[in-house]
Amino acid sequence: MTTHLTSARPAAGSRKESRRRPPAPSTTTVGRPSFAWAVPAALFFALFAIVPLIMVAVLSFMSWDGISSPEFVGTDNWSRLVDDPVMLKSIWLTLLLTVLGVVLQTPLSILLGVWAAGHQRNRAVLSVIYFIPLLLSATAVSVLWRALLDPNFGIPAEATWLFGDGNLFGEQTTAIGVLAFVSTWQFTPFHTLIYQGAARAVPQVLYQAAEIDGAGRYRQFFHITLPQLRTSMITSMILMIVGGLTTFETVLILTQGGPGTDTTISAYYMYDKAFKSFDYGIGSAIALALVVAATIISLIVVRVSGYDKMRSSMEGVS
Amino acid sequence: MKTRARLPRLVATGATLALALSLSACGDGNGGASSDDGKIHVLVYGDASNKIEQQIVDTFNKTSDVKAVLDTIPGADYQTKLQTIINTPQAPDIFYNWGGGSIKPFVKADLLLPLDDFIKKDPALKDKFLPSVFNSAVVDGKPYGIPMRGTQPVLLFHNKKVLEDAGVQPPKTWDELLAAVGKLKDAGVTPIALGGGDVWPTQMWFQYLYDRIAGPELFAKAIGGDKSAWESADSKKALDMISELVDSGAFGKNYDSVKYTNGGSVQLVASGKAGFELMGSWYYSQQLTDHKEFAEKDLGYTAFPTVEGGKGDPGNVAGNPNNYYSVMKKTKHPEAAAEFLKLMYSDEFVKAHLDIGNLPTTTNTDKFIDGSATPEYNRFQYDLVSDAPNFQLSWDQAYPQKASSDLHKAIQQFFNGQLDTDGFIKAMQALPTE
Repeated sequence: MTTHLTSARPAAGSRKESRRRPPAPSTTTVGRPSFAWAVPAALFFALFAIVPLIMVAVLSFMSWDGISSPEFVGTDNWSRLVDDPVMLKSIWLTLLLTVLGVVLQTPLSILLGVWAAGHQRNRAVLSVIYFIPLLLSATAVSVLWRALLDPNFGIPAEATWLFGDGNLFGEQTTAIGVLAFVSTWQFTPFHTLIYQGAARAVPQVLYQAAEIDGAGRYRQFFHITLPQLRTSMITSMILMIVGGLTTFETVLILTQGGPGTDTTISAYYMYDKAFKSFDYGIGSAIALALVVAATIISLIVVRVSGYDKMRSSMEGVS
Repeated sequence: MKTRARLPRLVATGATLALALSLSACGDGNGGASSDDGKIHVLVYGDASNKIEQQIVDTFNKTSDVKAVLDTIPGADYQTKLQTIINTPQAPDIFYNWGGGSIKPFVKADLLLPLDDFIKKDPALKDKFLPSVFNSAVVDGKPYGIPMRGTQPVLLFHNKKVLEDAGVQPPKTWDELLAAVGKLKDAGVTPIALGGGDVWPTQMWFQYLYDRIAGPELFAKAIGGDKSAWESADSKKALDMISELVDSGAFGKNYDSVKYTNGGSVQLVASGKAGFELMGSWYYSQQLTDHKEFAEKDLGYTAFPTVEGGKGDPGNVAGNPNNYYSVMKKTKHPEAAAEFLKLMYSDEFVKAHLDIGNLPTTTNTDKFIDGSATPEYNRFQYDLVSDAPNFQLSWDQAYPQKASSDLHKAIQQFFNGQLDTDGFIKAMQALPTE
């Protein structure tokens, strides 16, 4: 079965590719699965992502409370959304949190990743320790930090010189700070993992050559490691951005969008409208807007970074 | 940041929920009314009271040909899941609710069975319950619910030792409360613990002050659709008094970062860092669980203070009168449902609830109180509730569910100063009342 499927592939595939670049050596297609292998996954994706997405799109033009039958209301939900100050605020907050996430996590995870790729003593043990946050669910992490940051019995009560009266969840600035911090705490290990893998893949010959040329550790880092991490950096940033745009559980558990609407990011606002106010129409509209926004932003990042044109960081090395 | 896109997953989950539910109905005991399996399904909020509900179901099944099945949904998800299945074939025959606004949309959608006929055949279904409690599940003049758990009035709890050290008596009037706040502040403790992070504890101060100052009529008018009630002089007076209390530092500065649900405010009182806490009657058993020694020795409780010049009867209480069982109109076994509901005023039911610290609201509760685990506390609650001319249902339960999120936002924002009086009034007027 396997051999049959793989042998069927090269004919169509290589002809298409030949228009863009010289025919690839036949070795690259040998052992590659045919499209048929993707059918189960594609079916699942269609059933659990595309179909619901279409349903959500239809629902965004309806008024539905979940009990009575849905009513078609045209673009009503959308015009309500455009005029809604909370929606505008939520978009701004979502972008802010996303940017904060990228800005905080990228340098941290690059440094940790490059360090973890080395051969220092105790590295393995330490790596395991700070990968722990990644193993916890976002819910558990949020519950944990909510308890740790209790103003009367948590960390703020002990460190009043830093936290003042400890009203972290009662002020917008500090509430956003907590959200950014908790996300960073949880997801930096994941991105560290990406950078660790990438840093290990940097050919040692480059460092050897640099050493011969007399480059120190810092020059090696900035002129070899960092440029070699570029593709991984973009992968990691796209994940951060898409993840940031759809952050949900941390807000649900840590702040519930409060105080007031001060941390109501778009994904939480969608939940609030659909599942707390039982207004599934407007909830669907927010959901769809989020999907569109996340797609567009991801595409922009891919284009701007030139990710789509990059072939392989190994090219010209081996 | 997130490693996967959560949103599509969330959406997919929602869309497939219906699918999954319809599949599961074939297999296990989670079926429903329309797929008539010769049983009645009783859907309840999943918590510690379930063992009594199961006991009642078992008692019922001993004598009934139509068997009852108890289905539970974990507490936090109850409302959302109920709303999801209520108009589907998976709907239960009988379900738990909070009366008032929590069932109004279902009544409007013609999903619920008015219980007039049941009561006509067995008047005890009405007469055996305290009227102020029974009436909370009356919608448009018709009864839709039978009380099925314990009453939950909101009381002003305090730490006896803290009050004693500061030279404060439990306050009977608002002025005494303000004076106590001042003294407790001087003594270096937070006068009143408040789990503002959950918002519903904050709401309790609004409920009581509005009731004391304007009487229950103002809120009844507002929820009836007359939104001018929020602009009235009484409304503004209540808001002024709330602001005054907050500004005096009664709740400290970080109440919005404190939660009741993670035990934060509970611990504040138990550890002596705060003097008072306004909370539902379940607070007693919560303290008993979390801080046994404190609860047995130093936990005091009083009714909410009176407010001089207020129009409301000082005997009025606010909170959750009880929870209710409502019956779906399309149930295939209304007779069995009626028989099941009769157990809600049985001696067995009352005794079982008293044993776990719930106070049922039947007229026969009285004779079992003295034999219960906490007779003094139960007696206090029972007298308070049975003497109350009015029992104000919690605002967020009195309003339709779809209003509760915006209601909570307005309350939190007024409390922490993000909204002024006019802003709060506007926000309340924007709430849907049906």
